[in-house]
Amino acid sequence: MVSQGLEQTIVRDPALFYWILIPISIVMILTGILRHYATVLMNTPPKPPSTLAESRERLSILRGVNLRNNASAVLTKEAFEARKNYLVSAYQNGEFLKDPENRGQAPANPMTDPAGMEAMMGMMKGNMMMMIPQTLIMSWINAFFSGFVILKLPFPLTIRFKSMLQSGVMTRDLDVRWVSSLSWYFLNLFGLQSVFGFILGSDNAANHMSQQMSSMNPAAGVNPFQPGQDPDKLYQSEAENLEVLEHFCILDGIEDRILHNIAPKYGYTF
Amino acid sequence: MGHPSLEDQYSHSSSLVDNVRFSQQAPIILGAKATSAKINLLPAQQEDPSHYVLLEQLFLSCLQTGDDKSALQCLELLSDRFGPSNERTSGLYGIYEEAVAKGTNGLEKCLQKYDSILSENPVNLPILKRRVAILRSMSKPMEAISSLVEILKAVPTDAEAWCELADLYMAQGMAHQAIFCLEESLLVAANAWNIHARLGEVLYICARSGDETSGQYLVRSIRCFCRSIELCDDYLRGFYGLVMATLPLLDGKQGDTGFKISAAQWEKTIPAATISKLHIFAKRRLEHIIELRSSNHQLWESCQGEIIAAKELLDSLQDTT
Repeated sequence: MVSQGLEQTIVRDPALFYWILIPISIVMILTGILRHYATVLMNTPPKPPSTLAESRERLSILRGVNLRNNASAVLTKEAFEARKNYLVSAYQNGEFLKDPENRGQAPANPMTDPAGMEAMMGMMKGNMMMMIPQTLIMSWINAFFSGFVILKLPFPLTIRFKSMLQSGVMTRDLDVRWVSSLSWYFLNLFGLQSVFGFILGSDNAANHMSQQMSSMNPAAGVNPFQPGQDPDKLYQSEAENLEVLEHFCILDGIEDRILHNIAPKYGYTF
Repeated sequence: MGHPSLEDQYSHSSSLVDNVRFSQQAPIILGAKATSAKINLLPAQQEDPSHYVLLEQLFLSCLQTGDDKSALQCLELLSDRFGPSNERTSGLYGIYEEAVAKGTNGLEKCLQKYDSILSENPVNLPILKRRVAILRSMSKPMEAISSLVEILKAVPTDAEAWCELADLYMAQGMAHQAIFCLEESLLVAANAWNIHARLGEVLYICARSGDETSGQYLVRSIRCFCRSIELCDDYLRGFYGLVMATLPLLDGKQGDTGFKISAAQWEKTIPAATISKLHIFAKRRLEHIIELRSSNHQLWESCQGEIIAAKELLDSLQDTT
């Protein structure tokens, strides 16, 4: 156990600083920039719809969503009922589908469907761009720099930080303030966001946080269907959502709202 | 980068005066583009999307003011960056060709070109829209409407297209279809106060027809104008519409406005006292806005027509009372 008040001192060669700390930082920054440009080059934009029917199939689902969200702000009861009935029956009958004959069949296996294959390849490429450089650099650091203690933090830390700051150095009694080279790599990996933001602009591809976000929600707004998803199923569930929708309108009583809220703002009271 | 002040001050607008002034800046902006081709060290600073938006706006203003040369220059800069086959660039190129085309024959040629582009890529939205615009300017409204309906089947979430369809229907006097289209576009952009006001105008026109439903239309029209005011309490058109729409429902004013609406048609939905309060509020606010904008030179120039019309309305109301 580390006794209180007693400073641990380790005599380090100052060359460790120049030959480990700085090279790791520089290599991390350079790989980040490289990864950004590689991603930009390999990135294939999501395919736009190639026929009008396909575009119709993609966007008609949004019409139901819009109706659910905005109907209360615009429509009178009759207009709302008419739209609701139309959309529900059209969704249930599959009128918006690209090829209505294929309705009800099992969706094509994304492994054999070329379009699905392409989308999966895009995701694979994105993940590979993250995985490969990380693996390479980590094994490089492990091979050359493992086991070095290179840095002493100027402030004390609790024992919980030991696993974070001293990976690769298996000494139980070493003070937590000492940082190993492998840990310096991890700190760089997560801490260089702002540096990349400065060099590459805010929406850069080296920023792997944004990468994770976008892989969770691929190309939102362009194609609401993910590869291998059956549009008909989505339409059916949207029809159910619409069926339970009750009409109310914020235009009812708006005259009083104007007189009570807007008019006093300009010094008119009624 | 370079011109944040220019972008704030100038953009393509519906006012001709502004557009003339903006297009007069063309040599300066285009000249600056030529000299500012220096290398930036940080890649973050190289591309600025607003740069190209400015060019697009300048292109439209130049075309409107007859400066075809500068317009072509803008277009070349844009197609240098995005390639001539880019959908948006090809749409702009279409606008340019239509603008310099001579007579109906030239327009026919443009139309054929669009058809050939569309046979390669049937979902080229800017070109599809240009096609409708050409059909409209060749005064073939029925064809324009039917092809716009085809577009909207494929892209039902395009508020702009729905508004254009409403305008086309309105030009044909088909007010009910126009109301439907405006409602659809409001479902996409629920907070657009200008579309709310436009819907109010169309409903007001419907109410003039004078059958037994016109009272309901007028009430809906009043509510649309109210919504528009609620969303933007500085919108001149909204207040103008509210003054106009409440006028026929005031006591003893029906004869002047040409409306034949019996009190039974509307009294249940909005009390007469509220109507007259709304009318007075809208009138005062309109006076206030006119005063404010007339004293500010820049505002006055950009919305001259609206202010003059509002003044006339207020003057005519003064005469009758």
